[in-house]
Amino acid sequence: MPSRRTASMAAVGVLASAALAAGALTVLAPSAAAAGVTFTPTADTYVDATYTTTNFGSSQQLGVDNSPVKQTMMKFAVSGLTQPVTKATLRVHVDDVSGAESSNGGTFRAMSDTTWSETSVTYNNRPAIDGATLGSLGSVARNSWYEIDVTSYVTGNGSFGIGVTSSSTNGADYDSRETGTTAPQLVVETGSGPTPTPSPTNTTTPPTGDPVLVGAGDIAVTGTGDTATAKLLDGIPGTVFTTGDNAYPDGTASDFNTYYEPTWGRHKARTRPAPGNHDYHTSGASGYYNYFGANAGPAGRGYYSYDLGNWHVVSLNSETGMAAGSAQEQWLRADLAASNKPCTVAYWHKPRWTSSSSHAGDPATGPLVKALYDYNAEVILTGHNHQYERFAPQNPSGQLDTARGLRQFVAGMGGASLYGFGTIQPNSEARNNNTFGVLKLTLHDNSYDWAFVPEAGKTYNDSGTGTCH
Amino acid sequence: MNGPSRRVRILVTAIAAVLLAAVATTAVVVGRQNAEPAGGSARGRAGTAADPVAGAAADVHFPPGTRLDALSNGLLSTVSLTDPAGPRTVTTRRCDRAYTAGGTTSCLTPAGALSAPELLVLDKESKVRHSIDLTGLPNRTRVSPDGSKVAWTLFVGGDSYAGGGFSTRTGILDVRSGQRIDSLEEFAYFRDGRRHRAVDINVWGVTFAADPNRFYATVSSKGVRSLVQGDLAAKTLRALADNVECPSLSPDGTRIAFKEAIGADPAKGWRLTVLDLATLRRTRSAEARSVDDQPAWLDDRNLAYGLQRPDGTNDVWTTRADGTGKPAVLVAGANSPAVLPAGS
Repeated sequence: MPSRRTASMAAVGVLASAALAAGALTVLAPSAAAAGVTFTPTADTYVDATYTTTNFGSSQQLGVDNSPVKQTMMKFAVSGLTQPVTKATLRVHVDDVSGAESSNGGTFRAMSDTTWSETSVTYNNRPAIDGATLGSLGSVARNSWYEIDVTSYVTGNGSFGIGVTSSSTNGADYDSRETGTTAPQLVVETGSGPTPTPSPTNTTTPPTGDPVLVGAGDIAVTGTGDTATAKLLDGIPGTVFTTGDNAYPDGTASDFNTYYEPTWGRHKARTRPAPGNHDYHTSGASGYYNYFGANAGPAGRGYYSYDLGNWHVVSLNSETGMAAGSAQEQWLRADLAASNKPCTVAYWHKPRWTSSSSHAGDPATGPLVKALYDYNAEVILTGHNHQYERFAPQNPSGQLDTARGLRQFVAGMGGASLYGFGTIQPNSEARNNNTFGVLKLTLHDNSYDWAFVPEAGKTYNDSGTGTCH
Repeated sequence: MNGPSRRVRILVTAIAAVLLAAVATTAVVVGRQNAEPAGGSARGRAGTAADPVAGAAADVHFPPGTRLDALSNGLLSTVSLTDPAGPRTVTTRRCDRAYTAGGTTSCLTPAGALSAPELLVLDKESKVRHSIDLTGLPNRTRVSPDGSKVAWTLFVGGDSYAGGGFSTRTGILDVRSGQRIDSLEEFAYFRDGRRHRAVDINVWGVTFAADPNRFYATVSSKGVRSLVQGDLAAKTLRALADNVECPSLSPDGTRIAFKEAIGADPAKGWRLTVLDLATLRRTRSAEARSVDDQPAWLDDRNLAYGLQRPDGTNDVWTTRADGTGKPAVLVAGANSPAVLPAGS
């Protein structure tokens, strides 16, 4: 977690928050009780209309200006919060150099695209600064801190992008994350008290009792990764999912008994699996169907569904026909049509989208994605690539779709040795390939929380909340 | 104050001038970094690096005008090596791996959902001179120092050098005549002076000498991975040393930088090492992490190579070829480095 610094930071509140803020904050006034966590950007940069193919990602500055046009963008990965957010404040520091000051500090807006690459953004390929206005700064002075109240935007764990533009020909220059001590900061205060505007999206602590769906794919091997992830399951009640390649190398009865049974096997009674290509190394995946029995749905078919609370849960089979009109695709459409649950999650083995250097995304899964999208499903869980990746909600064409999109995860970190990444694909919001773990979904009535739970001794985490459509 | 602050303005102006000149005359390079599945423990664990944003700058110095071509998350880019943390020029050309030398750039394009990867050969004006359809997962590419030959390697089975289940295909194109060799597996392979015949031969990771008829590469057969010297005209490969992968010849032609499997077992990862061709003496670099890349030489003393952070971001690192010093980030958020000497 290089970008996250924990501090019991005093809050904020001293300075004008949103809107035409104000004074320079040169000293942080400690305040009473608020517990704050400070995040620095995972990436920040600016673009300059004068140099349309130039990237400034490694610069120590972030410029905003209207002549020539300069725009700043930064993104934050907020995770690990366990209490509702009571206040979120963006802090930016004006560079200590002549000319950095300005009569207009710019307008700060939310950005829906949080997946641009810091070292390849240019003016020509810049992401849109398209979200709600969070606040503006008036006059800003050299070598001073300023604050913007972003509580309306940063309501819990997740990925957040903030862009800054200026309508003034008098530009301002802030310090970038490359400066270290004067990098932008996102200070998030949390508390257990009543939140200002309670809603499903700003509640990071689930009410107890909501169903939990927890699991991973690419699991049982000769190594110890599956042992570590099985231990995580020991402490997490709920339904266990798998996203295929349950028992390496070939899904034989012996592979299941030798590798899966001693680890994840102790949670077999609460496991609802999906098959992978390695399970099908054994003809008809008979080792898989024999081992899981009725928990794997109708023997030999590999797709089935069940309900958890307010959620419809569908386990699918990417190792058999998926084309539009295929038996599986028709079954899926009928199954979704018959469901009366407001929220839906589906899981299978091969991802539609991935940034892995190993297996490319599988377009053959497209008709399944399309059916789920047509029926307003929320989440897709996959494996196949041995790593963790989370995408923003996308439509079946892979475009960002915050209204109706499906959020796809690759949860291939169940135990098999981990893979590298290639070019990071559009809308990929979070990735990790040095930590085994499980993905835990808490299924609320009209929303869900996700959390990557790392193996003992590791610290990577990723968490957030999504709402049902 | 209007406009950028002074320090930025000066910097941008200077760099932009250099980069614009660079772009006008050159194309870029390399591709799929260390993202090649390094497999096993090497890939996911030992070999990963932290976000170097606040790390120490590399202590290497280059003549004014020296540039580095690299990929910035898959886009061909150019950075000034006199200010490697400064602005970079980013093109719209998408490659998994690329390399530039002698005014020629090779680019292995990504495989799409429905399209095969291609080798694109670009000239100094970034115009496509050749495009060749290929099969597999792009992995390595190199250009001869005079720009007349281009080599490529793709995985056609498997996706990692770590295990035993992969298969590679490596070819060479003569840029001027358009003649090409689709697979170096057709060449006669000699070990200890004797012809070695086997069906399990794989060839990968070509590096060219100043005389582009001579090249070096990796040959694997019967579990042994060897450095070979190749002769394009004679169509031969001769083994020089074992446990040498992904060779890279120094500009002076005397040494090979390569990745050496720990304990000759790639599943344990690789160490960046330099082999003296005259004595076959090996010198380990100071880089202690597993490097799964074909390294590049920045000059006769310094190496460049890619390492991947756990979130998939790549960085170009540098360390000295003689084993002294300490590795440092050269260009953050980049991979597939190729140095462009001043004036080239």
